[in-house]
Amino acid sequence: MLNIEKLSAGYGKFSIIKDISIEVADGKTVIIIGPNGAGKSTLLKVISGLLTPASGTIYFDGQRIDEKAPHEVVNLGISVVPEGGRIFPELTAYDNLRAGAYPKRARKHFKENLQEIFHLFPILKQRKNQLAGSLSGGERQMLAIARALMSEPKLIMLDELSAGLGPIVVTHVFEHVEKIKARGYSILMVEQNVLKALRLADYAYLLESGKLQFQGTEQDFRQHPHIRLSYLGI
Amino acid sequence: MLILNGLVNGLLYGGLLALLAFAINLIFGVLNVLHLAYGQCVMIGLYIIYVLTILLHIPFIISCFVAIVALVGLNILIHVSVVQPLLKTPLLNQLIALAGLIIVLENVALGIFGGDYLGFNLIFPAFAIGEVYIRISMLIPFLCSLAALAILWLFLHKTYTGLAIKAVVQDREMASLVAMNTKQIYLITFAIGGLLAGIVAACFAPIYVVHPHFGLAFTLTAFVTVVLGGLGNLLGGFIAAFFIGIVSQIGAIIFTSEIGEILVYVIFILIILFRPQGLLGVKVRSA
Repeated sequence: MLNIEKLSAGYGKFSIIKDISIEVADGKTVIIIGPNGAGKSTLLKVISGLLTPASGTIYFDGQRIDEKAPHEVVNLGISVVPEGGRIFPELTAYDNLRAGAYPKRARKHFKENLQEIFHLFPILKQRKNQLAGSLSGGERQMLAIARALMSEPKLIMLDELSAGLGPIVVTHVFEHVEKIKARGYSILMVEQNVLKALRLADYAYLLESGKLQFQGTEQDFRQHPHIRLSYLGI
Repeated sequence: MLILNGLVNGLLYGGLLALLAFAINLIFGVLNVLHLAYGQCVMIGLYIIYVLTILLHIPFIISCFVAIVALVGLNILIHVSVVQPLLKTPLLNQLIALAGLIIVLENVALGIFGGDYLGFNLIFPAFAIGEVYIRISMLIPFLCSLAALAILWLFLHKTYTGLAIKAVVQDREMASLVAMNTKQIYLITFAIGGLLAGIVAACFAPIYVVHPHFGLAFTLTAFVTVVLGGLGNLLGGFIAAFFIGIVSQIGAIIFTSEIGEILVYVIFILIILFRPQGLLGVKVRSA
């Protein structure tokens, strides 16, 4: 579904990621882990079209997307939950969900999708007329995920979902991801919380200093000595 | 009662200022650009209305409609040729370019029409409710302005394009991540600015006379309104417009119109001294 080949990108003279090749198969959950500054967010920015790559290609559903603008990429079926959620603070929760349904194909089924979302996230139904900026951190993250789902995506990209959230909230948020995974969405997740992320992964990549250092299944990662030491604390 | 008349006149004047303020705030909120040449656009609209109605004997309403369409076109042209190419350059470049546009538009008017004043010279009736006199020439534009603002409010809150505009104002990168075409939104916003400029010109036509430097006076008042209300804040601009309208008209009725103007600026300076972000503005903390 998503095929990235030998992708390199950076900001001006600063090269952030080099020769990255990643694949997300249909319906699978792929995790990218790595330390701060490894280039994980930069990678998601390039895929979503916010940043132009220096070299390499990205194919989504057979179509080349590395030269496309962000709104075109989202219209093709990739939805993004950026770091911090970035809900629109001065819109109500309901309007944030309307914003998520902006693509024309999603507008047609707005009412049904909205009921689905309220079923998945009952708190959002309660708070639908509240200004999004006044929601709690966990609720905002939930709203950001719900907003991404409203566009009827094929692939959902999640950037550091657990960032800035307390441990119990993180558990809840990951439970939501499990629910989404169970519905058959393809997920590409960037995470620092390796322990929790690995449990959801069909496949994982380790990104360090802009390069892919290791890739494999959850088992492969759990048995790898460097990863056990540096990321799992075992 | 003098003050009551001042109040009523102030409300009527404020209604028109509110349209100007709305357009400038919208453009600033979406594009982060101050449309310095906005008064000049209204001036061009007025010239079109006068030329069509007086010289070509076209019915007033049709002239207004033509002017509105022309101003939408003019602002789209301004956006595509002046604003959009400079969007990623330093703010100063954008401001200077728009200031240059002021000079261009004024001199185009000067070149075509000369420095003479052009206007309708009509006298409109006024009616009285008790001791308060209401001029029809101000009442109709006021009602049009309110109607336009109401339609705009509905547009912003009920349509998907309006939603996109609100989203771009708050977080333009995120807006593009929910499939909103920000370039298109910029263009639409400028077009709306042109539409409003046309409506303002239609409302001003019966009351004012136009000359090439007409824009300057209104640009100053419009920007004072916008800053007073809080730059970028639509509701703030609305409130500030009526505030300024009322203060200037009450001042004009009690003293003279010059004192009314001075009063506006004195109060503006005082408010900004103690609340630099304006009435409803957001305080920006310096690093």
